[in-house]
Amino acid sequence: MEAQFAIAGKDFVVSVTDKNVVHSIVKMKHTQDKTWQLLPMTLMSVCGEPGDTDSYAEYIQGNAKLYSVRNARDLSVGETANFIRGELARALRSRNPFQVNLLVAGYDKEKKEAALYWIDYLAAMAKVPYGAHGYCSYFLYSVMDREYTEDITLEQALDIVKKCIAVIKTRFMIDLPDFTIKIIDQNGTREIEQSDL
Amino acid sequence: MDFAQFQQAPVSVPTEHHSHGNRWDPYVDNGGTSLAIAGEDFVVVASDTRQSNGYSINSRYSPKAFELSNGSVLATTGYHADALKLVEHIEQRAQLYFHKHDRAMNVSAMAQMLSGILYSKRFFPYYVFPILSGLDAKGKGAVYTYDPVGNMERVNYQAYGSASALVQPFLDSQVGFKNQRNADPSRLLERPQAVKLAIDAFTGATERDIHTGDWLDLFIIDQDGIHQTKRELKHD
Amino acid sequence: MSIMEYNGSAVVAMVGKNCVAIAADKRLGQRALTVDMNFQKVFPITDRTAEERIIEPKTFSNLVSHMLYERRFGPYFVEPVIAGLDKDNKPFVGTASDNLFGMCESLWEPDLEPEELFETISQALLNAVDRDAMSGWGAVVHVITKDGVITRDLKGRMD
Repeated sequence: MEAQFAIAGKDFVVSVTDKNVVHSIVKMKHTQDKTWQLLPMTLMSVCGEPGDTDSYAEYIQGNAKLYSVRNARDLSVGETANFIRGELARALRSRNPFQVNLLVAGYDKEKKEAALYWIDYLAAMAKVPYGAHGYCSYFLYSVMDREYTEDITLEQALDIVKKCIAVIKTRFMIDLPDFTIKIIDQNGTREIEQSDL
Repeated sequence: MDFAQFQQAPVSVPTEHHSHGNRWDPYVDNGGTSLAIAGEDFVVVASDTRQSNGYSINSRYSPKAFELSNGSVLATTGYHADALKLVEHIEQRAQLYFHKHDRAMNVSAMAQMLSGILYSKRFFPYYVFPILSGLDAKGKGAVYTYDPVGNMERVNYQAYGSASALVQPFLDSQVGFKNQRNADPSRLLERPQAVKLAIDAFTGATERDIHTGDWLDLFIIDQDGIHQTKRELKHD
Repeated sequence: MSIMEYNGSAVVAMVGKNCVAIAADKRLGQRALTVDMNFQKVFPITDRTAEERIIEPKTFSNLVSHMLYERRFGPYFVEPVIAGLDKDNKPFVGTASDNLFGMCESLWEPDLEPEELFETISQALLNAVDRDAMSGWGAVVHVITKDGVITRDLKGRMD
């Protein structure tokens, strides 16, 4: 019932996640940030089984930072995504798998390009121009398929985000009042409000 | 999505016993494959003659393509007993038509009627996938395909049955000229090519599908009538 | 529906005369939902230019077979296909998958030259995926000869 999607351009990624925390039929919180800043240039948004999401994200964040400390070098987005997928695949074959779906967004300073990785709880990974998870993906893919262009600008991407949120608000059964909208580019991550779109 | 749905054993062994108790089930899939290819002034119809039930072969020569009284051919797959009853049903109605109009039904009329017959049993269907072939009023090859409840479509070629997944893409490629640039998709085949492709399709299908094989019934329908030939397929 | 059809795909390999071809479609999905239309499914295992101690296709195939059997009671949900040329350029091919069988059984013939093999495998794959809603979105074909690998992208029915 969560909404999570992201759109990548040549040198930026916009990541959008809803802010709801739901337990049974009760909305426990509506201000949760479901994204994790793994590294200055890498942002991960997580949805799935409550509990699994946090513990897996913390584990990944810890290991990403540990790598930086040990090697005096940050993992790139691609390297991080591959590590995340690998750990998810390993856990999947153990007695305690994580039921988490992820989007890993980031800017690769060496390649000078932005990248977005789509990873599901079965540890399938794809490098995508745009991606989504959860029920909302059934609405959002059609919007993004129509609107996305290869040489998309940030302004155009934010416009798509606006349209995506509009679709969620009109067609999705669950009320998702607010979203965490973050932009990752060569300057790092910054957050914008829904009203700024 | 939870894991439980994937927790079955990696390989499921097909058994003859149904898991949902011993509920009465009036249908059986008798396997086998049928196809038809329309030409400008002819139709080629081909069906294998194996009749099976699960891993058992009931008969090595049990034809499932039938010449009808009006000079058309009905090729079937699915449940053989229903196919036989369907042919009786069609012939009964064709007989009534004959006596009422003093004329045999033409193929398009029979095609429409067949759709009606199938739909009249919408809630206890004939478990049959029929292909009706003949020459239309203008003498052109006509192939009509149906699902068990009477959805009908006139096509240039069609494969149905246990090896349809194997044969249909082959016909798409060789008869429908799909995925070929500068090809005319409505071009119809010459008779020798159509016969050759029908045979090729069945030798291929027999190789990979255990429910298809033994003998091939080949019908060529043209102005002069129906020419039937029998060819051998692999018996394994 | 079995987990083997969760992501959907079509992979095929064929032997020719002193050449082999391997091809795959580009779709990645979650059941009926398409997630990626440009997903890589064919991976190079050895680099022909680095001639020093490369693994033979047959050896690699045995390795994969053992890796899969090791997980006999908790399998990898994959159906791999291996294609390669061995030392004396004798072609070697692993196993492939249902619409494709029909196509391959009827289109393929022994001793095809690289270009003929390319045409055959391409037609086999394109016509097979067009009758499968779970695969498609174009394809990539690699033809391996002793002189190198020819890679071509195919555009099919993009639906």
